[in-house]
Amino acid sequence: MKPTENLGSFLAHAVVLEDEAAQRYDELAEAMRQHNNPEVTDLFERMAGYSRLHRAEATDLAERYAGGLPALKPWEFNWPGMESPESASMEGSHYLMTAHHALKLALGAERSAQAFYAGVAAAATTDRIRELATEFAEEEADHARQLIDWLERVPPPDPGWDEDLDPPVEVE
Amino acid sequence: MNSASAIELNVLSANDYKSDYKPVWCPGCGDFGVLNAVAKALAALELAPENTAMVAGIGCSSRLAAYVNAYGLHGVHGRALPVATGLKVARPDLTVIAAGGDGDGFSIGGNHFLHACRRNVDFTYLVMDNSVYGMTKGQASPTTECDWTGSKLSPTGTHQPALKPLELALTAGAPFIARAFSNAPNELARIIAEAIAFPGFAFVQILSPCITYRPEQLAWKKRIHADLEPTADRREAMLTLLDDDGFGTGILYRAERSSWRGEHFNTIEPAQLAQAFEVNA
Repeated sequence: MKPTENLGSFLAHAVVLEDEAAQRYDELAEAMRQHNNPEVTDLFERMAGYSRLHRAEATDLAERYAGGLPALKPWEFNWPGMESPESASMEGSHYLMTAHHALKLALGAERSAQAFYAGVAAAATTDRIRELATEFAEEEADHARQLIDWLERVPPPDPGWDEDLDPPVEVE
Repeated sequence: MNSASAIELNVLSANDYKSDYKPVWCPGCGDFGVLNAVAKALAALELAPENTAMVAGIGCSSRLAAYVNAYGLHGVHGRALPVATGLKVARPDLTVIAAGGDGDGFSIGGNHFLHACRRNVDFTYLVMDNSVYGMTKGQASPTTECDWTGSKLSPTGTHQPALKPLELALTAGAPFIARAFSNAPNELARIIAEAIAFPGFAFVQILSPCITYRPEQLAWKKRIHADLEPTADRREAMLTLLDDDGFGTGILYRAERSSWRGEHFNTIEPAQLAQAFEVNA
């Protein structure tokens, strides 16, 4: 079901987008904890917290929507890619990644969400969907700007950041 | 149309199907996507955890059984299928899912795979295929390309053709055959849900990249094409596979065939069985 089809579908997409973003950050945080990378664990946990705040906002809107939301199966959502757009790339992670890498990963997710909402706004079938999608796209753009500011305070790591003299796994 | 609270129940409860054990897979591993997809499929089908059992072999991917909130057995290397077969025949009321990797399923358990396909007991088999033995640190598996030189054990390649799991399953008689990609968790969830709902042996090959020993598999994302269309015609399915590059995803084959439930065998009570083995003094 397309997010542009009706307001219920749009709101369902918005809730799940933020929920899956939070869950992915949880997974990344836990994976970093398993590999004793506390700085990035903390960063991903903070990102998960932000996603939950945004999810609460979307849920609040959805609960106030009198038309009700469609009960969609996971594969009935219409995302532009293989999964919901704000889910940070799992395959882009590395056990030695730094805060700089983590912020760049999060920035990619925010930009992807912004592009999703901008696309919905452009193809919206009702004024209300267009209005909300435009608002959400601007919010995602604002999150991206905040991450860019944050990134400026966290310089990229030196070359060789992924070298490990005592690797947990080694090709034999 | 349902209320917002129904959305919570129907869409956002996949987490309820994850156990409290946290995965120890390498960050970036494709198996995270498989866990998410299994949880989503179980939630979408509204299967009760106490009526669901996951049986796995040995290997990185076989840890899946511990991470799913259902009955689980992380068992013996290559033996997920016979255990799942026995469980389903003994407890047909349970939804049984077997899981493992390409080494566990096609090498150590290769013989079981052939006979599970032809026996057609009603359960689902998920193989997370990354064409490498990850847990033992990166040796070639049955689905490894013949020219892969990434392991010191096969420095000039394996010089053996990679096994083609879908062709093998079709030849051996599996009535439901599909391929999916771990990094497309929603489509994978749909295929897993269809496999579970199918009344017979349902085999799903899941391309699940190993970013540690096969980092080049990150490029799989660009090679996937979701264009397999289900057919009940074996000839058509085989012709599709002959032109297959190994990256087409979807349900390839779905045919009606009575599943084996063991009803042709007499059953007796354990006490009667014991009696049959008694040695007369």
